[in-house]
Amino acid sequence: MIELLNVTKEYQMGDTVVAALRGVTSSIAQGEFVSIVGPSGSGKSTLMNLIGCLDTPTKGRYILAGEAIEKLSVDRLAELRNATIGFVFQTFNLLPRLTALENVEVPLVYAGVPRAQRRDTAMEMLERVGLPDRARHKPNELSGGQRQRVAIARALASRPAVLLADEPTGALDSVTGEEIMELFQALHSEGSTIILVTHEPALAQRAERMIRMHDGEVAEDVRTGTQSGRTAERTPKGVVAPPKGVVV
Amino acid sequence: MRGITQWENTRISVRSIAGSPIRSALTALGVMIGVAAVIILVALGRGAQTQVERSLNSLGANLLIVYSGEPRGTALVRSNTANIRPTLTEDDLAMIRAMPPELVSLSTPASTANVQLKFENRNIAASVVGTGPEYPDIRNFQPIYGTFFTHADLERRAAVVLLGAQVYRDLFDAGRDPIGENVRINGVSYRVLGVMEEKGSAAQDSSVLIPISTFQRRISGESNYAMISIQAASSEVMHEVQAAIEQQILRLHRLPSMDYADFYIANQMDLLSTVAGVAGTFTLLLASIAGISLVVGGVGIMNIMLVSVTERTREIGVRMALGARPRDITAQFLTEAVVLALGGGAIGIALGIGGSWVAVNMARTAAEVSIASVGAAFGFSVIIGLFFGGYPAWRASQLDPIEALRYE
Ligand SMILES: Nc1ncnc2c1ncn2[C@@H]1O[C@H](COP(=O)(O)OP(=O)(O)O)[C@@H](O)[C@H]1O
Ligand SMILES: [Mg+2]
Repeated sequence: MIELLNVTKEYQMGDTVVAALRGVTSSIAQGEFVSIVGPSGSGKSTLMNLIGCLDTPTKGRYILAGEAIEKLSVDRLAELRNATIGFVFQTFNLLPRLTALENVEVPLVYAGVPRAQRRDTAMEMLERVGLPDRARHKPNELSGGQRQRVAIARALASRPAVLLADEPTGALDSVTGEEIMELFQALHSEGSTIILVTHEPALAQRAERMIRMHDGEVAEDVRTGTQSGRTAERTPKGVVAPPKGVVV
Repeated sequence: MRGITQWENTRISVRSIAGSPIRSALTALGVMIGVAAVIILVALGRGAQTQVERSLNSLGANLLIVYSGEPRGTALVRSNTANIRPTLTEDDLAMIRAMPPELVSLSTPASTANVQLKFENRNIAASVVGTGPEYPDIRNFQPIYGTFFTHADLERRAAVVLLGAQVYRDLFDAGRDPIGENVRINGVSYRVLGVMEEKGSAAQDSSVLIPISTFQRRISGESNYAMISIQAASSEVMHEVQAAIEQQILRLHRLPSMDYADFYIANQMDLLSTVAGVAGTFTLLLASIAGISLVVGGVGIMNIMLVSVTERTREIGVRMALGARPRDITAQFLTEAVVLALGGGAIGIALGIGGSWVAVNMARTAAEVSIASVGAAFGFSVIIGLFFGGYPAWRASQLDPIEALRYE
């Protein structure tokens, strides 16, 4: 699914060059649940942005679902962000003027999905994250946890192959963070590929695999053991069937 | 991937515009004022033009006037021809009357003099015009009351007179029937045949009309005419007629060229086109001034759009992260600018038409709203939206998604 080969990312800061990533090589398979940890400034966000096609490597190769992204046009990158990637941000990044439902619709608008179908899908996603009764609310009428659920519903709307979350619980209290984490686990058990950046070791432990970043390099890449293979019998009770189109 | 439709872009723009109504109104204000100004000023210019043309046309249709004296511009109506020595002869008139009807429909001579008019105990100074019975048709100047004198009156040098509207008011009590009354011109008694329509020109309203034969015998003692009024058969032949008459009169007067002429010909067409040209320039000037305000309005849109792009950097980043292509962002902001400009334009058109209506109905000014100026204003609004929205929209599309997402 994701193939990183000696990926380097450098930023020009005036006269000096800052290397945010120094030769990262890694691969993530379909259906994996990976957490990325590491101290602040170690390159976690930079890596996530690259994987999410928001940025391109300075050196090295990145192959997403068989496509080498350094060769792609801006339009194709936008398409990948739209259809293949679902991004969840620490600060939610909901559009403040739109309702929860309309926010979830945004990726589908750019995919050119007709309105009625868009509404149905968005509603389905809000149901999936447990917020069907908040569809008509604006973000400022929702709690932090609810906003992050809406953001997750939005990331899921185009049924992406990979769900990326950069510190999704960073702006939430621990109880709400726990709920969001459970949602990710449920999504994973339904077949989603999930990559999650977090500060909290306890949360990181709940992924199948943990990549520790240090100074722009992969310092450690381990199986966590608390979860092993994905199997259907691990699906929590009450969780609906996997969303259509998600590659299992 | 099918991509976002323009319809969705328009929905996004309209929502964003409706989301901050005051700012949107202020943004569109410049275009609104500009469009209203274009429409009102062009309407005023055209109104003035039509009014001048109408008053020129009221002098008569396809009118040419041969004047005695040295050539002097193209003035169609000379304020005072009384003290110019008449040089136009009976032969000149006969020559004009011999021209084929495809060229000349009507012609009539005229001479004027300043006289004293007397009726009962009232005594006024006026100008008397001696002319022929064709005069009312050629000069589009008809009796409003009574009848004009006839060829028979001309033949027998009848002492009959038609009064200008002002003369009638000066000599007669309001409502008094003047027909059959006798007024005295330089002491000689003339029977009143009628009153001429009011033209609003002092020269015509303050004069009286008598047969040219009577004028020659009793007032001037001069066989030449001061002028000859001619109605050409059509506007197309006017220049041809003018050239032919010039040549013939030069020949009759044994003069080598117009440089030595003792007459000149004023041509209504030339005057009309001069006036139309001046009025057109005037209208264009007004329109350009208004056009400048449209451009200023456009700069206003650009200004606010640039601010808006900066303020919405994060929104742009989010949209890009969710799959908006650069061209989708361009389209979104361009649509917003065009919708704003069109909205301003539409309100401006309403204001312009309303303002012109007020000018006509309340301020009694001539104003004619032209469909072309409305159409142009509308088209201009779109172009201004595209032009001045283009740069901000392009800037928005060039934002780096990560930078945009990080923007506070
Ligand atoms: N746009 C940028 N310009 C310059 N330096 C940057 C930029 N983005 C990140 N960096 C630098 O790259 C390094 C890694 O940053 P980041 O990936 O955000 O770390 P993390 O998310 O692990 O805290 C840091 O030293 C940071 O200062
Ligand atoms: Mg970070």
